[in-house]
Amino acid sequence: MIRLALPTGDLRRDTAALLDAAGLGIEGYAAGSRALRFEMPDAGVARVFREKDIPAQVALGNYDAGICGLAWAEELAQRYPGLEVVRLRDLGYARSGLWLAVAGDTCEPSVRIVSEYGNIADTLARRMRLPRYRIFSLWGAAAAYPPEDADLAIVPATDAAGVEAQGLRPVCEVLASSAWLIANRRSLAQKDLSLLLSRLLDGRVPAPPSAPALVAPPALGLRAAERPPRTRLRLALPDGHAQSHTVAALEMAGLQVDGYGKEDLVRRPRIAFDAVEVKVIRPQDMPQQVAIGNFDLAVTGRDVLFDHKIQFPSSPVEEVVDLGRSRYGLAAIVKDVPADGVAGAVRWWRAQGRATIRVASEFPNIADHFARERHFGRYSVVPIAGASEGFVPDDAEILIEGIETGSSVRANKLTVLERFFESTNCVIANRRRPEGALRATFDALVERLRAGALVPAGAATEG
Amino acid sequence: MPEVAQSQLARGMRDLLPAEMRRVRRIEDAFTRTCLRWGYGEIRTPVIEPIHLFTAAGTLSPQTLDRVYSFLDWDGWSGERVVLRPDSTIPAARLYAERFPPGSVARLFYRQDIFRFAEDDSAREEWQCGVELMGETGRRGDIELIFLALDALAEAGAAGVVVRLSHAGIVRAVLAAAGMPAEAQAAAYDRLLDGDGKVVDEIEARLPQLNAPLRLLFDVDGAGSGYIANIRAALAAEIPGLTPALDELAAVVAALEARGVAPRISAALARRFEYYSGIVMRFERDGRRIGGGGRYDELIALVGGRRVPASGFALDIGALLDATAPGDDERAVRISVTAEADSPEMIAAAYDCAAELRRAGFAVDTIDEGRDGAPCVVCRPSRPRFVLRHGGSERAFEGAAELMAALEHVR
Repeated sequence: MIRLALPTGDLRRDTAALLDAAGLGIEGYAAGSRALRFEMPDAGVARVFREKDIPAQVALGNYDAGICGLAWAEELAQRYPGLEVVRLRDLGYARSGLWLAVAGDTCEPSVRIVSEYGNIADTLARRMRLPRYRIFSLWGAAAAYPPEDADLAIVPATDAAGVEAQGLRPVCEVLASSAWLIANRRSLAQKDLSLLLSRLLDGRVPAPPSAPALVAPPALGLRAAERPPRTRLRLALPDGHAQSHTVAALEMAGLQVDGYGKEDLVRRPRIAFDAVEVKVIRPQDMPQQVAIGNFDLAVTGRDVLFDHKIQFPSSPVEEVVDLGRSRYGLAAIVKDVPADGVAGAVRWWRAQGRATIRVASEFPNIADHFARERHFGRYSVVPIAGASEGFVPDDAEILIEGIETGSSVRANKLTVLERFFESTNCVIANRRRPEGALRATFDALVERLRAGALVPAGAATEG
Repeated sequence: MPEVAQSQLARGMRDLLPAEMRRVRRIEDAFTRTCLRWGYGEIRTPVIEPIHLFTAAGTLSPQTLDRVYSFLDWDGWSGERVVLRPDSTIPAARLYAERFPPGSVARLFYRQDIFRFAEDDSAREEWQCGVELMGETGRRGDIELIFLALDALAEAGAAGVVVRLSHAGIVRAVLAAAGMPAEAQAAAYDRLLDGDGKVVDEIEARLPQLNAPLRLLFDVDGAGSGYIANIRAALAAEIPGLTPALDELAAVVAALEARGVAPRISAALARRFEYYSGIVMRFERDGRRIGGGGRYDELIALVGGRRVPASGFALDIGALLDATAPGDDERAVRISVTAEADSPEMIAAAYDCAAELRRAGFAVDTIDEGRDGAPCVVCRPSRPRFVLRHGGSERAFEGAAELMAALEHVR
């Protein structure tokens, strides 16, 4: 039985068309069904993942083959050069590049590089022989960071104009990416994948014989310069699922933010509050940005703060206002495990001969902490980007996942073994408060944000 | 036989058992004795260092940098990573820049491990004995280091050591003569350091004026002053930049030859390290590298200090384990001491007796009762106070002095 990993998101439509044309059409996949697992008639099974997770799943051998952007395969390979992944063929769609971009002519003495592709960024920094650099491996919105919060960004774009459209100056394309068929090396060597390969490698799309390689950028010639002291307070607001909850809190607090609506979202909206500037970034990236002093305040989730504090226990970030919205819990979730607690489940997996317990989560630090605290023994954490319900039981034994009402858990026939952390959205700040005039602005803004809390805001709660 | 069927050792890591550790200690002790006799003082640098110490141009080659163990520390929210020490010379240069008066001569040695990823099962942790000589010592410093290394290797029991020498200026002169832009020179230099032989052809294509093939430099395993003279005759006219490097190399080679050491000569020895700027040395036995080093005059400035010339070498303990004779078993003679009765007084008497024997240089256990054939002293509550069982016979002793005399015989 062939196991194929397929992408959700932007690649779904073209991938579905490719599979249809190859006679491997999967009912429901093209339509964006909520199902995560599909039968491929006469071929095997297909499982839907976030594109970013596919190379790791193929490398682990959980799937024989997968379709994803080449950039994600390269991102994993840069960290793990001995990867069991073979790049088989350019599938001819989703053509895009990864571009190195700058915002100006200066940089901090320790060059700040932002990207969703942190491993590629690290390799390029070494190739450029940057004497000192910092990599911020982001969940998204990299183009929004320069020039205030980053010196270099590595961003996806179809061409140089696409980089400029993001407000950045392109330096060079570092990787030409497109959708690729990849396969597990051992599966290729030992398993009959001929049905899949014959249908997908039929030469329908002219393709180069080998995958493009990472291009080393030229010397940048940036001048090192310290940042001038800030005159405005900086607030980070979240995009994505967290945005609607934040909009509600801001409205209740009487804070008008132009350009932060669902329809008119911009990365630098304007807030009606003196001496404050706002930037919209991913909530997962906020604690680190607050810790290093790029932002004075940020609205994020307590789960995200908890994950950050586990990775960096002495981080100076703290919660200052509980906004009381976006309420949900983090839980340990399994499927088809005859146990009513985590300890019993661990004993059951061991009795089944499972040497390593795989813990999948979008919160890898929390998952690691959970497994350590519950004495899992030998375990591995599988960091994932989403589509998490489908991971258990085939691709992980246990899932550390946020649950709200439990409807998704019930719909997927999953079992909650333990709900161990409660999260709401909250305002976070650096323990080291801004000084001078900015301190008064900070205090005033925190007070206003407190008025947006759904519950009376008591003392800050630690994660 | 061990009960655990499958090892849980991390890939590329190695356990050392007591017999191997005795050999490691013998090598380290020989190295330490030698360094102390030569007036060097021991240092130890941290296992974790900031990555930026190693990333600047002129430190490690790109391929080596790709194999460092780097991670965000528990307080690494700034985004700057740290590494498990991939090299000992760069931390020693940092230590010198931070802790020594600029320009002072520092004679330092260390015994510590380095960590580099390997894609196969090769060792990812290597133990090294190394020496760094910082300060304006010129070529005398290089000569001192080579003789010091040979002395330490001889002290450790490594016979038949071959010294192989090069000069970093040779490759740099060739690249400069090839008219490559500075960036391309750096890239070609790194490719040479990372063992990419094709780059020699590319350089040669840019030097049509040469009367002799560049392969004379890169493929020939030369011997001593004669080979240096040949290079000079064949290439120095077309590549005048070679002359200073060849002059320096020739002077060091002549000094070694005058003391009966016949070094081999290679053009490119400094694999994986960009920081070498002058004489580069490698020590081999049976064709296998057991140590190496060289001059790194620019490194201390690169890690934040003033420009101070320096030179050093490191010996690879793993390779030396295979290159040195096992030697005598240095274990102390083992003796068991036990109490005849299980009373607190008798147990105390047995421990007192054991302590006295340990002070006399015996290795004493208080549990085994001579089970593996070791002599066993039984402490008794009445006369005779001690019974010595050994080789199937028993002898009684009234006092500790008599017992000790008998045990000296066993030793």
